[in-house]
Amino acid sequence: MSLEASTTLRPASADALPKPLPGRDTVIQYGMALLTVGLIAAPLLPVLYQSILDRALYDSGQQLTLNNFGRLLRTDGFGLVIWNTLVFATLTTVISQTLGTLAAVLFGRTDMPFARLFGELFLWPIYLSALVLSFGWYTIYGPAGYLTLLIQSIFDGAPWNLYSLPGMAMIAGVSQAPVAYIYCMSSASITDPTLEEAARVAGAGTLRTLWRITLPLLMPAIAYSAVLNFTVGLELLAIPLVFGDPVGITVLTTFLYNNGVASARPDHGLVATAAVLMLAVVCVLVWLQGRLLGNTRRFVTLGGKATRPRPFRLNGLRWPLCTVAAIYITATVVMPIGALLLRAFTSLLSPMVPITEVLTLGNFTNMLEYPVYLRSIWNSFIVSTLGGVIATAMVALIAIIVLRSDFRWRGPLHYIALFPRAVPGVVAGVGFFYAFALVPGLGSLRNTIWILVAAFTMHFIPVGLGAVAPMLLQMSPDFDRAARTQGADWWTTSRRIVLPLLRPALVACFIILFITFFKEYTTAIFLFAPGSEVIGTTLLQAWTQGEVGLVSALATIQILVIGICVTAARAFLGVKLYG
Amino acid sequence: MAELLIENLHKRYGPVKAIDDVNIHVADGEFVTLLGPSGCGKSTTLGAIAGLDQPTSGRIRVGNKTYFDGEKAIFLPPEARNCGLVFQSYALWPHMTVYDNVVFPLKLRKVSTADCKRRVEESLALVEMERLQDRYPHQLSGGQQQRVALARTLVYQPEILLLDEPLSNLDAKLRDRARTWLAELRTRLGLTTIYVTHDQVEALALSDRIVVMNGGRISQIGSPQEIYTRPADSFVADFIGTTNFLSGDVVGAPDGDGQTLVSLADGQRILIKSDKRPSLGDKVTFAYRPEQMRLAAANDQTIGGSIIEADVVSHSYVGGRWQIGLSVGGNQIRIETQDATTDRQLRLWLPVTGGILFTDRNHGKSH
Repeated sequence: MSLEASTTLRPASADALPKPLPGRDTVIQYGMALLTVGLIAAPLLPVLYQSILDRALYDSGQQLTLNNFGRLLRTDGFGLVIWNTLVFATLTTVISQTLGTLAAVLFGRTDMPFARLFGELFLWPIYLSALVLSFGWYTIYGPAGYLTLLIQSIFDGAPWNLYSLPGMAMIAGVSQAPVAYIYCMSSASITDPTLEEAARVAGAGTLRTLWRITLPLLMPAIAYSAVLNFTVGLELLAIPLVFGDPVGITVLTTFLYNNGVASARPDHGLVATAAVLMLAVVCVLVWLQGRLLGNTRRFVTLGGKATRPRPFRLNGLRWPLCTVAAIYITATVVMPIGALLLRAFTSLLSPMVPITEVLTLGNFTNMLEYPVYLRSIWNSFIVSTLGGVIATAMVALIAIIVLRSDFRWRGPLHYIALFPRAVPGVVAGVGFFYAFALVPGLGSLRNTIWILVAAFTMHFIPVGLGAVAPMLLQMSPDFDRAARTQGADWWTTSRRIVLPLLRPALVACFIILFITFFKEYTTAIFLFAPGSEVIGTTLLQAWTQGEVGLVSALATIQILVIGICVTAARAFLGVKLYG
Repeated sequence: MAELLIENLHKRYGPVKAIDDVNIHVADGEFVTLLGPSGCGKSTTLGAIAGLDQPTSGRIRVGNKTYFDGEKAIFLPPEARNCGLVFQSYALWPHMTVYDNVVFPLKLRKVSTADCKRRVEESLALVEMERLQDRYPHQLSGGQQQRVALARTLVYQPEILLLDEPLSNLDAKLRDRARTWLAELRTRLGLTTIYVTHDQVEALALSDRIVVMNGGRISQIGSPQEIYTRPADSFVADFIGTTNFLSGDVVGAPDGDGQTLVSLADGQRILIKSDKRPSLGDKVTFAYRPEQMRLAAANDQTIGGSIIEADVVSHSYVGGRWQIGLSVGGNQIRIETQDATTDRQLRLWLPVTGGILFTDRNHGKSH
C-alpha cells in the first residue's frame, strides 16, 4: 500500500457524472410495452369485432349485431361438434394422465431395467408435432397400415379403428402423455423421500406405499397437467383433421378450419363467434391452471433436499413390467416414427412385400421436382431461425422490463405477455388472418413469411418467457443495483450487465423457439399463401392429395432437423428442454 | 466528499413502518455506522440514500445536491447520485475480469483510456489487488472479492461511500484482518462513509459515531464510548456488549447525590447512582457490564458499592476463564471469573457508580 496512491486517487475535480440520454429508458420500456400489447391484441380484437358484425369485416356497411351467437347455436350439427370436442378432450386427458403417471412412477421411482432409456423415448412425442405423429400412426395402424394388414392376414379384421373418437384420443393421449410425465417427475424429484420411508418403516408394503403416499403426493402435478392436457385436447387440430374429417367427425378446431379456410364462401360471423367461444373456454381453463398452482400449499412436501428417493423394488415383477413397458414404447413411439422414416425410403410399406424390393430414394428425388417442397423447407428454416431470433430478442426485453425495471406498468405487461397461453393456435390463426386483411398497409405482408413470424412470435411469447424467467429470477438484483449506483441508467445496465449474464437462458430460449416454430402448423394453415408455405402446411396439403411417400419424406426431414437440434442442445449446451 | 443530511425520513410498506422518522446529520469526512438487528431499518435507510429504495416521505441531501424530497417530489435515480455502494454480496459481475469490473464506472464517465488504465491500477494498488487484474471474480477468494468491490467503488471518487455489511461474508479470522485494514484505509481516505452492520464489534472499532436503530427508529446516536458507557435505553445496553439486567422497586428515592436505593424481588437492596430520578415505588431496570461486577472479597465493605447474594446456576470453562451463570431475585445474570467455583452461592460486589438505571418498562432482555 503506498501513500501516493491514496493522494493521487483524489484529484481536485471529480469526474463528470455520465449523462445518459434523458428519457431513453422510458422510451424503450413504453415502446416495447406498446409493441407487445399491439402484437397480442392484433389477432384478438379483429376476432372479437367480427363476432359482433353482420357481415365480413372487410365488407362495407356492417352493422353491429348479436345474432351470430344465436346463429352459431342453431347451426346444424353444432351441438354434435361441441359434444365431439368434449369427448375427444376428455378421453385425451384420461389417456395421457394415466400413461404419464404410470410412466413417471415406473420409470422414475422403481428399479425397472432400462428405466432411463424408456423415459427418454417416452418423451419423444413432445419434440415432434402431433401432425407427424399422426402420420406415423397412420403408417402402422391406419386402414392400410403395416400392423393392420399383418393382423388382418391372421385374424378377421383389425381390432382398432383410428378413424373414431377413441382412436384419435389414443394418438393425442400418447402425444400429450409426456406433459403429465414431466410434471409428475419434477414433483417427485422435490418430494422428501423420508415421507415414503416413514410409511415403509410403519409397515406399509410397496403397493400400499405407492397407493397411499406416492400417488397422493403427485395429485397436484396430475391435476395441473390434466387441465393443461384438456386445454391441448380442445385446441388440437392435426389429429381431428387427419382422422376425424374424412369420416365426418367434426370438433371445434376442424369446424373453424372448414368454415374459415377450406370453405369457398366462409361465413366469418360464425367462424369468429366460434373462435370467441373457444377463447372464452380456454381462458377459464388457464385461469383454473393458475388456481391449481396457487392452491398447492396443501400438498407441498417439506424438506425438498435434492436427495434421490430410494427406488421401489419390483422384485419378481421387474422383467414382466419391463417387457410391458418395452412393448408400449415400441408400439406407440418407436414403430410409428420408425415406420414413417422407413416409408420415406420405400415406395410401399406392407407386410406382404419384402422391404428389399421397395427400397428407393424416389420420394426424395420426387420432392426435388416440386418447388413447393424445397420452398417450404427453406421457409421453415427462415421462419424458425429469423423468427426465433426476433422472438428471443422480444422475450428478453419483455423479461427484463417485467422483472428487472421500475417500469410503471410492468405488472400489467407481465400479465398481457403471458396471455397468449389462453389463445388457441386456431384462434390466433383466424385472428391474424383478419388483422392482415383489415389493417391497410399490412396487405403487402400478407403473402410473405413475415405474417407467420408475427403469428408464431405472438403465440409463443409465454413459452420463451418460461425459458428466460427462472434464470432472471435467480440472478442477484445486486448486479444491476451495483451498476445503477455507479452511474449506469437502466438500459446501459441491461445491455452491459443483465443481458450478457442471461446468455445461457437466451440460447435455451432460442433453441426451444426454433424447434417450436419448426414444427408449428396450426396457426400457419390459416395464414400461408403460395410462396410462404412451411413444412407443416405442405405436409397437410400433400396429405390431402394422398401423397403418402412425399409426406413421409418431408416428415423425415422435420424429424431429422429437430432430432439434431435436441441432441446438440442437450449434449453441447447443456440446455434443459422441457422439464 | 460531502456532508449527508437525512431529515424526517419515513418508509412504509402498507401498515409496516420500515423507517420511522429518521434524522441523521453526517459531517464531511465522518464515518457513521448504522447498527441494529436485522429488520431494524438500517439497510432500508442505506438503500434510500443510494436511491435503490424510494422513501415515503422526508428529505435526503448530500452536499448541495438533494437526493430525495418527499414534499417537492424529487427523487434522483441511483445513477444520478454518484454514491459508492459496496454490497454485502460484493456484486462483482461474473462475466467481467477484475480490470473490466473496476473500469466500468470510469467508462460510463467517458474517462480517457490512458487515465482509465492509470486510475484502475491506482485503485487496485490501494486494495493490494493490482496483480490480479485479469482474473475473473470466481477465481478470487471472498476477501479478494471484497477488496475488488471496494476498489470498483473508490475508483470514481463517489460523493459518499456506503458499505452494506461488507465483512459479513468473510470467515471469522479474515473478518478481523479485514476490519483492521478497513480502519487503516478509512483514516487515510477520509471519505464520508455510512457503514451498515449488525456486528457491534465492527461498529465500535470503526466508527466516529454510531446510530443504533430498532424497529425503524433511531434509539441513540453517539460516539462508540457514549453508546457503550451511557446507553440511552435498555435496548441499546442489551445490543451493545454483554449486559446483565436486574429489576426491582425503588425503596429509597434519589438523594441530592442522585443515589437511588432499589429492592430486588427477594428483598436484597442495591444502591445505584444515576442522573435519572425515579420516584418511590417505581419499577426500574438497571444494568451492569460483566466487567463491572466482581466476586466480593471477605473484607469488602458496602461503601461505594452493594454486596448481594446470588445462586450459582451454571458454570462453564470458556478458555482462560470461567463463565458463571447466576440467579439473583429472579434475574439471570452472567459474570466471568479467573477461578472455578464449587460454591452453590456467591457474594457479588456491585459499584454504586457505573451501573445504568432505566425507567423504561420493557427492557430488552429478550434472550
